[in-house]
Amino acid sequence: MRRKNICLAWLALHLFLVTAICVWQLSWLIANGLTVIPFTPAGIASPAEKARSTTGKRAWSNPAKQLLVGYLHCAGIEGAYGFFAPNVPENYKLAFEFHNRDGSVEYDLPSVDSGAAELRLGGLLDAIGRSDSEKYRRILIRMLTTAAWENHPEAVSVHAVFGKLKLPSPLEFERGVAPSYEFIAAYDFERSADSDPK
Amino acid sequence: MRDWLFFPTSDRWLSILRIGLAVQLLLYVFSLRSDWNYLLGGTGRGLVSRDLAEVLLSLESWMIPRFGWFIGPARQLGIDETTVLSLSWYCLTLGAIFLLIGLYSRAAAVASWFLYLCSVKSGGLVTYGVDALTTTGLFYLMLSPLPDRLSLDHFWRKKLADSQLLGFWRRVLQLHLCLIYFFSGLTKTLGRDWWNGINLWRSLIRPPFDLIPADILVRFKYVFPIAGVAIFLLEIGYVFLIWRRGIGRVWLIAVLIMHVGIGLTMGMYLFASIMIILNLAAFGPGKLWPEKELRGDVNLSSSLDPA
Repeated sequence: MRRKNICLAWLALHLFLVTAICVWQLSWLIANGLTVIPFTPAGIASPAEKARSTTGKRAWSNPAKQLLVGYLHCAGIEGAYGFFAPNVPENYKLAFEFHNRDGSVEYDLPSVDSGAAELRLGGLLDAIGRSDSEKYRRILIRMLTTAAWENHPEAVSVHAVFGKLKLPSPLEFERGVAPSYEFIAAYDFERSADSDPK
Repeated sequence: MRDWLFFPTSDRWLSILRIGLAVQLLLYVFSLRSDWNYLLGGTGRGLVSRDLAEVLLSLESWMIPRFGWFIGPARQLGIDETTVLSLSWYCLTLGAIFLLIGLYSRAAAVASWFLYLCSVKSGGLVTYGVDALTTTGLFYLMLSPLPDRLSLDHFWRKKLADSQLLGFWRRVLQLHLCLIYFFSGLTKTLGRDWWNGINLWRSLIRPPFDLIPADILVRFKYVFPIAGVAIFLLEIGYVFLIWRRGIGRVWLIAVLIMHVGIGLTMGMYLFASIMIILNLAAFGPGKLWPEKELRGDVNLSSSLDPA
């Protein structure tokens, strides 16, 4: 009987947490005007953004929060379940223009070997595109540039262009409108003495 | 309510969950074999920095498992990051094989959950929905009353779990799936473009999910609005109808077909497979095939049907 009571208490808490996170995420989508429900965007941070904006000091100083967040991650319930909802996220692309010492130019994209990793890379580019933090975006693009630079040892500088894919609707597609890229940002990096792009 | 949650059931569902998750893990590790170290490498050694992902993780909680816990101490012993990451790949593969055959099931489930979580969290910048769902599946598996009767552990020890406890953990999985589908469907209803089919179109033509050429897809433009609405109705209806005796079976089959469709048309094989595994474990026995009693061959499909 006691074991059953413990199981019941745990289940109640566990399902409450799952529900609370989903409701929170849904409220955030509504509050930011991302749904059909009319609502003036209030600039509320998403659960994930809020968690990431938490300073180390604040997080460390609250053991209960540490425990709760740790549990959520361990159970895989830290995020909501709005797969491709309320709308399919934008698609982003990063392209590199490597400039060699002799003046020649080579073009490249971030690449991985397997299809499974390609899905993950696509998710990373989408996350970079969705981020409001220019600093975060620049750091990640610099990392991707560093990785791609390995394939271009002769290059002395690189121009990285980040863009968003605009997809046509079925009717537009029938009229001949092709997917196009919308420029978002460009970054220039140069190879320094320690081979790290600056 | 207590009786409903602790209903007696066989361990058939647990066998499906254990074997299914083992296969899922094997698909995961082998699909990422060539990119494992590249995706999980530290600053300057991989696609993006594992160090950055782990710093962001630390801001949330120090308790979340990560490979950094091993890589730091290993460096002190002169073992480099590449070796630790390669070892972690082999250990996760071994854990999945042990799970698959049911050898040291509990230890294999705990180890697999832990290593999978480390890989997902350390590669936090390159994760997506499938990782959270697999983590949840492994979390429930390691807490469930293992071993099941199809495991090697049972073959040697002949010890079976309390059927009511088995029923409880099956209910946990069932209720969680209901919440997943309900909120996924509800969120879709709030997106205008799920009603007119544009979202379905966009999800199928957007890279890297654009396996089917757009000029073929556009021929079905009138189907997209119907299919878009059908998807969120299927998801929202899941929580209410999956429990019913007749329609529940139809609903489960429809949901399984939807996931097969996602896998085939969008190339999201791992996502499709984890959802199929979780659904089959939660509702398969009793809905798709008769439920069996723990001991003996008495058919309990009528009395133990989760509906």
